[in-house]
Amino acid sequence: MTDKQGDLVQGTLDMLILKTLALEPMHGYGIAVRLEQMSRGVFRVNAGSLFVALQRLQRAGLIKGEWKATENSRRAKYYALTEPGRKRLSTEKQEWGRQVAAIARILEAS
Amino acid sequence: MSILRSITSGLRSLFRKKQDDFELNEELSGFLEMATGEKLHQGMTRKEALRAVRLEHGSVEIAKEEVHSSAWESIAETCWQDLRFAVRMLCKSPGFTAVAVLTLALGIGANTAIFSLVNGVLLRPLPYRDSDRLTIVWEKGRDGSPENVGYATYLDWKAQSKSFEQLAIYSSWQPVLQVGEPEQLSGLRVTSNYFRTLGVHPEIGRDFLPEEDAPNTNKVVMLSHSLWQRKFNSDPNIAGKLVTMNATQYIVAGVLPASYQSLMTQDPRGGSVEIWRVLGYDVSQPWACRTCHHLVAIGRLRGGIAITQATAEMDVVSAALSKAYPKEYDDTGVVLTPIREQLLGAASTPLYILLGAVSFVLLVACANLANLLLARATNRQREIAVRTTLGATRSRIIRQLLAENCLLSLLGAAAGLIPACWTPKVLAVVGTGDLPRLDQVHLDGRVLLFTIGVALLTGIATSLAPTYRLSRTAVHDSLKEGSRGSGSVASRRLRGMLVVCEVALSLTLLIGAGLLLRSLSRLLLVSPGFDPANVLSLQTSVLGQRFNDNEVVRQYFAEAVKRLSALPGVRSAAAASQIPLAGNIDKYGFHVEGKIHANPEEDPSAERYCVTPGFLETMHIPLLRGRDISAADTAAAAQVLLIGETTARRMWPGENPIGKRVKVGDVDKPWWTVVGIVGDVRHIGLDSLPDMQMYIPHQQWPFPDGQMTFVILTAGIPAAISPAAQQAIHSIDPTQPISRITPLENYVGLSVQGRRFALILIGAFAAIALVLSVVGIYGVTSYSVAQRTREIGVRVALGAQRGVLFRLLLRQGMFPVVCGVIAGVLASLGVTRFLASMLFEVQPTDPLTFGGVVLLLVAVSVAACFIPARHAMRVDPIVALRHE
Repeated sequence: MTDKQGDLVQGTLDMLILKTLALEPMHGYGIAVRLEQMSRGVFRVNAGSLFVALQRLQRAGLIKGEWKATENSRRAKYYALTEPGRKRLSTEKQEWGRQVAAIARILEAS
Repeated sequence: MSILRSITSGLRSLFRKKQDDFELNEELSGFLEMATGEKLHQGMTRKEALRAVRLEHGSVEIAKEEVHSSAWESIAETCWQDLRFAVRMLCKSPGFTAVAVLTLALGIGANTAIFSLVNGVLLRPLPYRDSDRLTIVWEKGRDGSPENVGYATYLDWKAQSKSFEQLAIYSSWQPVLQVGEPEQLSGLRVTSNYFRTLGVHPEIGRDFLPEEDAPNTNKVVMLSHSLWQRKFNSDPNIAGKLVTMNATQYIVAGVLPASYQSLMTQDPRGGSVEIWRVLGYDVSQPWACRTCHHLVAIGRLRGGIAITQATAEMDVVSAALSKAYPKEYDDTGVVLTPIREQLLGAASTPLYILLGAVSFVLLVACANLANLLLARATNRQREIAVRTTLGATRSRIIRQLLAENCLLSLLGAAAGLIPACWTPKVLAVVGTGDLPRLDQVHLDGRVLLFTIGVALLTGIATSLAPTYRLSRTAVHDSLKEGSRGSGSVASRRLRGMLVVCEVALSLTLLIGAGLLLRSLSRLLLVSPGFDPANVLSLQTSVLGQRFNDNEVVRQYFAEAVKRLSALPGVRSAAAASQIPLAGNIDKYGFHVEGKIHANPEEDPSAERYCVTPGFLETMHIPLLRGRDISAADTAAAAQVLLIGETTARRMWPGENPIGKRVKVGDVDKPWWTVVGIVGDVRHIGLDSLPDMQMYIPHQQWPFPDGQMTFVILTAGIPAAISPAAQQAIHSIDPTQPISRITPLENYVGLSVQGRRFALILIGAFAAIALVLSVVGIYGVTSYSVAQRTREIGVRVALGAQRGVLFRLLLRQGMFPVVCGVIAGVLASLGVTRFLASMLFEVQPTDPLTFGGVVLLLVAVSVAACFIPARHAMRVDPIVALRHE
């Protein structure tokens, strides 16, 4: 939960949300569930943090929201990646890969 | 790009708050419902599911708050909330608000007023293009002091130096303008490149032409905007017209813009320069010589040339000149004074001292307000504890306090601006001595910005103490009913410390004011060497072709003095080329027979008074030895003069100067014989020691002065004789202009006006600070007495002696005062030396002033503690115990 998230590198949540939305547009709860599933229960995001991140991403123009009906015919705001969001995701992925590799090298050197 | 988007979407959401709020609400509740649905699906009961979701995600409200506060616009919103709340809080306690605003208005208003003075006089740009490249160029005197230059020297400088883009000279000129009533103007004679040097262009007409700057074609003048409006009805076709001055026709070249105010002479007795005439010198003229030091050179440095470079270059030029003309220079070298320094240098020290002093007043006001706020904070402890329990963070509470205090300060600043608007008027009444550029003093953008800045700083500063105090409040204690929080000891200590600061600051100000007061009173005791009582002075200068004959001038003044002396109510009258303390400087080389240096330029010079008989008697200047000059000392008789005491002492130590011979000005001229020694007069000011002086009979001076000042000793009020005196002069010649009609006492007053001005202001600041401190001391003592009513009641009930109790309270009240006095004395010892230049015959550490001020402050403080302590003694133990 929050503690776990505190362990996340700053800005990682944004990247994970972008990744989640890269597959298909999704509403807030869907994002939370998908994150939990994909991380096999390691990352649990609470509503407050999630919506703060969504607001931030939306303002940065990386995602955009649209009200639609859900499969249970309830209204929900679906978020989708924009073109800048897609670009951002790929650069962040690269950057992340580089960092992880670097950290791994440091940790394994002895 | 993204910042821009964030700003626009933030702004949009500020205005679509409802809409956004609604959407977020729907999204969040949807989220939580879906989460609950999921849990139900897993087999939980509805109640369990709701609880689990709550635990995981919190309530909708908390999540909403989190989202809200993450966006920047929420800060703007809460600030607005804080401000509205602050207004409500201040309205709820109007008494507190009024006292606080008044205190701040005093502090901030005084600061605004003084800053507007500093801004107008020192900070505003000078009316010249690139004024930092302008510099006055002086010849260096033997003691390193700056000296005026002669015309021939100027020409050589101009030809040989490469550092200056332009080099011009000016000298003062007092023409009589014969348009309507003849009026004596203050003017300058300048070289034709003068305005080009300053970077000023005429608004109407043209600048002076180089070919006009020659002896016989120099009848061209430039008018100031004010003169053009006043005397020529703003005639747009003035350029090229003829005006008559000193019975001579001049052609008007042009009019300068209104924005240009001459700063070159700042004689408070003379008024500003309004007319300029081409100098029109030629090296062949006798007054254009190298030793004729009566011109001031002003240069515009070439771009990129530093003042040190220019000085070095000019030193070389000057060395070559003094080698070529060894008898015409007493030393080599030049002194360069940047124009800003020359014009404003003298004013800057007193002004910055005033700014420092007034900031002390603001600090005292801050301390006082902080004290008030502390008292209020104690009362508001419970309110704040409640808000903390309801979830307000400490930063939020501090922000709230800041909002309240900044609002208070801004209100205070607004109230303070009202008196600050009157600054120029007040200055005019008080009299500022010789501060330049007072016309520039008004409230402008920079002053307003300063005021707002000071107000916000004040708001923050006054919040420090209560914030510190609040941040240490234990919530639980404050919530308990009727608690006398243990914090009150800490609070009392904090308030005591504020009193220490207030007392120290006030003491420093009081000591400053005391030192200035002692200086002024000492100065007023200084005898100027003459008696100004009942003497009227009026200035005149001869006007008309007939006065080209020296004998006519002599006859005219002799006749005028005769007619003035004959007036009823006049005891005696005389005329002199200059009078002491009137701002003139007229010195001539003084060459004593047998003691003339190989280079006569190295001989000293003496102030020259060209006088008619009766001057000593009218001015009450004592004749110490020998005889006074008389009507018998005519142009035909042997040349005689009187000398001052200092002249006698310096030139003939241990000898009798009577009968000794001297040459005045030029060594080629005939001898003058000393016939009498008179007392010294203070010529420059009461605060400067008399220099060498000599008195020459007007009848005997080869070029009798045409501009003379009459002095008339009357039996009654001097001003009353003025109409009769003017009539007497006009009965000889009705066309003669008369100006500067003023009692001699005014000149004495003017010479101490600058000091009086500083004293009045610093005295006023000290008084404000003292009153604020006393209110502060009284407030602290009475508050602590009120807080301890129950304790006092218990003590009395247990048999404490009221006298002992009284002394205890008094001692506790006076403790911070004593600490403050010690701190203040130490601070003053360090600070008062900055005042040294404004003191006269008083040491910056004058023990009498220090002692007196400490005594005054302690006495007033004891009184301030005495009243609440007495009040506490009347406490009835029964009432006190039932208190609350």
